[in-house]
Amino acid sequence: MKKIKIIFSSLVFTASLLMSTIAQADNIKIGVSFRMLSDVGYKHGMLIEDTVKMWNSQGGINGKKIDLTLYNDECKSEKGVANATKLAYQDKVHVIIGSSCSSVTLPMVPVITKAGVPQIIPHSTSSKITMTGSEYIFRVPVSSRFYKIVQGKFTAEQQGKKIAYIYVPDQASMVFAKEMMKYMKDEYGVDPVYQVQAGEKETDFRSYLMKAKAANPDVIVLSGLVDETVRMLVQSYEVGIPKSVHRVANSVASKVEVPTNAGKAAVGVVYSAAFAASDTRPIAKKFVKMVKSKYGVTPGHDFSQMQDLLDMLKPALEQVNFTGNLAADRNAVRDSIAGIRNFTGLASGPISFCAAGSPECRDGNKTPVMIEYTRGGKNWKTAVAGTVTFKPTDGL
Amino acid sequence: MEKFKEIIRQYPFLGFIIAFFILMAIPSIFFTDLYQSHLSSLIFINIIVAAGLNIVKGYCGQVTVGHVGLYAVGSYTAGCMFMYLGASLWITLPIAILVTGLFGVAFAIPSFRLEGPYLALATLGGGEAIRLFIENGEFFGSTYGISSISQPELFGITFDTPDKYYYISMPIMLIAIYFSFSVLRSSIGRAFMAVREDPISAAASGINVKKHKMLAFILSAMFAGAAGAVYAHLPPGYIHPNNYTVIEMVTFLAMVVFGGLGHIWGGIIGAVIITIVYDLTRPLYEYQLFIFGLTIVLTILFMPKGIGGFIDKYFIDRRFKKKQGVASK
Repeated sequence: MKKIKIIFSSLVFTASLLMSTIAQADNIKIGVSFRMLSDVGYKHGMLIEDTVKMWNSQGGINGKKIDLTLYNDECKSEKGVANATKLAYQDKVHVIIGSSCSSVTLPMVPVITKAGVPQIIPHSTSSKITMTGSEYIFRVPVSSRFYKIVQGKFTAEQQGKKIAYIYVPDQASMVFAKEMMKYMKDEYGVDPVYQVQAGEKETDFRSYLMKAKAANPDVIVLSGLVDETVRMLVQSYEVGIPKSVHRVANSVASKVEVPTNAGKAAVGVVYSAAFAASDTRPIAKKFVKMVKSKYGVTPGHDFSQMQDLLDMLKPALEQVNFTGNLAADRNAVRDSIAGIRNFTGLASGPISFCAAGSPECRDGNKTPVMIEYTRGGKNWKTAVAGTVTFKPTDGL
Repeated sequence: MEKFKEIIRQYPFLGFIIAFFILMAIPSIFFTDLYQSHLSSLIFINIIVAAGLNIVKGYCGQVTVGHVGLYAVGSYTAGCMFMYLGASLWITLPIAILVTGLFGVAFAIPSFRLEGPYLALATLGGGEAIRLFIENGEFFGSTYGISSISQPELFGITFDTPDKYYYISMPIMLIAIYFSFSVLRSSIGRAFMAVREDPISAAASGINVKKHKMLAFILSAMFAGAAGAVYAHLPPGYIHPNNYTVIEMVTFLAMVVFGGLGHIWGGIIGAVIITIVYDLTRPLYEYQLFIFGLTIVLTILFMPKGIGGFIDKYFIDRRFKKKQGVASK
């Protein structure tokens, strides 16, 4: 009797597995790999899950349900590569979303290119990623090649050319500071009055700031991750660097923690990003309200870029005639995304892609916006200092 | 069967040749996608590190928490040799082993005077110092990492995909295990155990404690160097300082502890299980670290000798019962 029970339950289990496989064979599969460690990281994951749940409740895409697979890469390249390999070959997804960190996205590119899976980047800004020439990569955020120009031009022409740089050993922070230094040298022939790379996870920047102060700069560039940016801003006042010295930060400053935790020290900080929460357009106001009520935070540009990505992915997937041939379907998804022109969402400018696997075609948003904090603390406020739309070839 | 076991006991190398052919056949029989090959290569790399860690920690009893730094040295030696000289794995691998062996000397020196938590702190500092040095050094690609490290070629075949690279990482892992077994079953291995149990008694028995501590660190470092080089060339060939943090070190330690400290198969069993469990819990990313931490705590509480301890107990019990049966007859 026991044996019959075991055989019967095994048969039921196998049959149910088979049924679920058949049921899922028709579904559209989306894979996600990004940093889901911090509180905000989890919330980005929740935003994707909620959006896909909503699509499915509305009938899916052309009647097909969407299967979502979310993996955390912890901002580590080893895990990002493993996730990309798993999503491409084992989970057999049609499209990959990820990653948050440039150092993770960069090694994912050869993996997804070999596997022939289209990948859309929600956050990584390093210009190196699209320069790989992969036909399968698409970037929603503004590339660092545009950020360096807009930031450099704005700083040199509106704030001053005597610039001190303090940056931390994180890829995005270093790229921002170094590319800006190079731009200032190439365009205006000026060297930094002071530059230093702080140590990893350093908490006391006062010695660097004192040295920067001694160089008597017009502008001080503070390029770090969230905690470091907050500390550098607060400590810059502690060491007596006057308000008249302009503070510039990288796009990390768009994250809500910076103005919230830096308080008054955030006032006057200028940074370039792809979205400002102070945006007065109805679509932006609605989005800010939704994120505040649903996730309890004021959205920075990481949130808006994720939302834009999802909003442009849905119509792209709707245009694909899924045949069941994975390779053909993936190429069709790639071509459909490449066909996106002038998508107007939350971003500072329209997002367009084209067929070639070049940075000109795959750096979708070419319009960074210069933002200034006008109030710090919990009820922080921003003002748009200006926007520039670049030509696809600029900064190459 | 008994005769076969006897032959294997006499010629252990034969066992590795059989294992080689079995592992050669596994992908074509069982693997259904490339990810399984990628995961297998990661398992093989972890096995090499864990086998080395087992020498210094499990056999010689030296507490090291900086092994991940040595793994980084291996990776970056290979990465830099590729970046500046265009060297392939066949050149970078032996040089990475040698260079990491030299770093092993530096790690061994504190062990002459320090023990337990003090030695752990010293090696932890060493490991972190290496990572920070790499991260801040432009020569090493700093936080950009080193990308597009080439994959090896042999007989006109480029091992540039996970399924092909399996056939590179697997034999290297087998050679490493064979080497580890040879060392641990020799007089050196017994001397390591003597140092672990009681350094004063070992010295009184004529064992040069300093020399053997040094040797354990060097051998162990060479394993880490080999693993690091194999990892650097693993497709897509990208290394970054973020992959050599204390978290990775704890993972390596967990492999050795879970498998069974001082058990000859300990690191290997631990590396296989931990890597697979880590992969299976990937979709449960919110709870992954919790599950992982809980596993380590429960292992230490209820299975202090790890899985290796269970295996040992099983064989000892079986042998005992067999002998009891013979005696009763």
